[in-house]
Amino acid sequence: MSAATPLRRATVDLAAYRANLESLIARLDPVEILAIVKADAYSHGADVLVPEAVAAGIRWFGTVELAPALRLRRLGIGGDASFFAWQLSPSDDLGAAVDLAVDLGISTLDQLEAVADAARARAGVALVHLTIDTGLHREGCLPSDWPAFVTRAVALRDEGVVRLRGIFSHVSETSEADDQAAARVFERAVADAEALGATVEKRHMSSSSAALEHPERRFDMVRMGSNGLGIPVTEGVTAADRGLRPVLTLSASVVKVKRVAAGTGVSYDHTFRAPTDTTIALVPLGYADGVSRRAQGAVHVVVAGAPRPIVGRVAMDQFLVDMGDDPVEVGDEAVLFGPGDRGEMTIGEWADATGTIPEEVACRVGARVPRVYLGGRP
Amino acid sequence: MTHDVTITVDTTALRHNVRVLRAAVAPAAVMAVVKANAYGHGAVECARVFVDAGVDWLGVADLTEAVALRRAGVEAPVLAWLHAPGEDFVEAAALGITPAVSSVDQLEAAVAAGVRAVHLAIDTGLSRNGAVESEWPELFDRAAAHAATVPVEGLMSHVSNASAEEDGLQMARFARASRMLDERGVRPPLLHLAASAAALDYAGARATMVRFGLASYGLSPHPDRTSADLGLRPAMTLTAPVTTVKRIPAGEGVSYGYLFRPERDTSIAIVPVGYADGVDRAASERASVTIGRRTYRVRGRIAMNALVIDVGDDPVEVGDEVVLFGDPALGRRSAADWAEAIDGITYEVVACLAAGLDRRYTA
Repeated sequence: MSAATPLRRATVDLAAYRANLESLIARLDPVEILAIVKADAYSHGADVLVPEAVAAGIRWFGTVELAPALRLRRLGIGGDASFFAWQLSPSDDLGAAVDLAVDLGISTLDQLEAVADAARARAGVALVHLTIDTGLHREGCLPSDWPAFVTRAVALRDEGVVRLRGIFSHVSETSEADDQAAARVFERAVADAEALGATVEKRHMSSSSAALEHPERRFDMVRMGSNGLGIPVTEGVTAADRGLRPVLTLSASVVKVKRVAAGTGVSYDHTFRAPTDTTIALVPLGYADGVSRRAQGAVHVVVAGAPRPIVGRVAMDQFLVDMGDDPVEVGDEAVLFGPGDRGEMTIGEWADATGTIPEEVACRVGARVPRVYLGGRP
Repeated sequence: MTHDVTITVDTTALRHNVRVLRAAVAPAAVMAVVKANAYGHGAVECARVFVDAGVDWLGVADLTEAVALRRAGVEAPVLAWLHAPGEDFVEAAALGITPAVSSVDQLEAAVAAGVRAVHLAIDTGLSRNGAVESEWPELFDRAAAHAATVPVEGLMSHVSNASAEEDGLQMARFARASRMLDERGVRPPLLHLAASAAALDYAGARATMVRFGLASYGLSPHPDRTSADLGLRPAMTLTAPVTTVKRIPAGEGVSYGYLFRPERDTSIAIVPVGYADGVDRAASERASVTIGRRTYRVRGRIAMNALVIDVGDDPVEVGDEVVLFGDPALGRRSAADWAEAIDGITYEVVACLAAGLDRRYTA
């Protein structure tokens, strides 16, 4: 719009993103980092983040699903970096995955035959990571089925239709004991696979925080999602503790200011009544934009230089903050979460306060909120 | 190309709902509210269906949403009421979008831009966007002064649904504002303060136009009344295919946090839909889905792109269609069921669904 001030914005600090990745690369060297850019890079915008990550030194990307990997490849985004997808759907275009050299996490014999068929049909080679279920029980081959699965993969490799790129697993991050048990299952699966003739380039099971905290489980590669975005997901650990900086800032412009008398009910159901005469400011972000209704009474939002409570129900498009007797004007910025420089909550604090995890907070910032990119590569 | 999560919108249901709602509030005019991507149903497509079904107006929150409708070729009257600071309304004027203004500054900017008409948005008790009572005289004076060039086509407010008594007070305040305008020679043909809940509850709130958001999509604004109770048909069905089925021994944990440990050997199915798609993580272990006629509980923590269901010993296969919610009259879970599972409201269940999901429209 032609307005002087945008209604709402999600600011993405690309310099912070690159710095986070560079710092993680240095810390984990020589282990490879696969940057997770699933869910449109946690809604930060994969098309923009991937080239920034390449500039920071990342050579592997993970998209979970195949379609976004194919899309990035077709757009040439990320150049000759590798793209890895592991949550495959029956309708996926495996031929395109072969043509565009997308790495695939393969969990079942059926999937293995399907990618081999696709490769055979176009005289190509499928790039395969054999997925072992080490206890998470989502994707992955159960250990009992592993020998037959690996044996078939080796035969397909020998046929020349499959290249065995990796062995991979997901861990549950439930408890240290569970994850240690998962690591033992993983090590055994790798040893069994090697005994069956499957030697791979990348063994990877750890992601994000587990990768930082447990060097013994890094193997050849680790998957980094939220840490790169400055969101440490380990309880009690802040971005600053890790030397990381939050990348995403959610803010909006105050669009209405009004003085209300003591006793005035505010927003739906009048769940808040002003205890004294006070000033309230309307912020044009609602649950359709990713501000949880659970934020009411649980968070603070920085407006006019100080933290303010959300009062009354969060609505679909807007919420209200209580300014007390402090001055505020239409056009003043309201900062919901960000790096914390201005006293705003971090995304981790926001997630804690609203009963969820920071990844969900990031992913649910809606399409109505324009992404504004700062600090792109010079 | 997408990951198979599909929102199917039954356009026949949308038309049915418009018919039912129009009859319920006749002779009031009807505005279909298509803000927030038509409550997750897809703004442009729903707007076209609603207009074709005979709604008089379309409503959105902000001008960006209104412009998107115009760019897609939607020509019906569109009202937008939430404006950025310093908005100049030039694009709104060029595209024939009608702004609801809540301050003298907005009114003057809209007039200067040459918009076709304005609605005046007033606060009658919700304490949100509208002009407060102390601002009415000046706002109304200025509106009257400009009325010859930019007509005041509507007067709008929004009810807080706090209690029948509060809502009644709001209606009385609205009537007072209308009289104040009348004293200034301004008689807007469109008087509207009721959205779905108030319009269905109070005949007196219907004035000359009603704004239907949630109810247009066939969903009930009341937790204690179903869509069917209101004669409405939920238009949206959210589905995804089973991508993996696996047998799990008793006592093994499932998904992040191992929140779910089955007491006996069972089969679980992975469904590739998660919180990045707008499915609230708070539904973990609480919401249910259906495959065919059978209902299954969501087990473990809902992940970014996946959730897990326990299918017991049932013959569920890869590719089977999982319905998260749809029309309960067809044996599906409802959006209201999901709202209950997250201790939330039906509105957020649909409005938070990601814009990037595949939306299909059936007749």
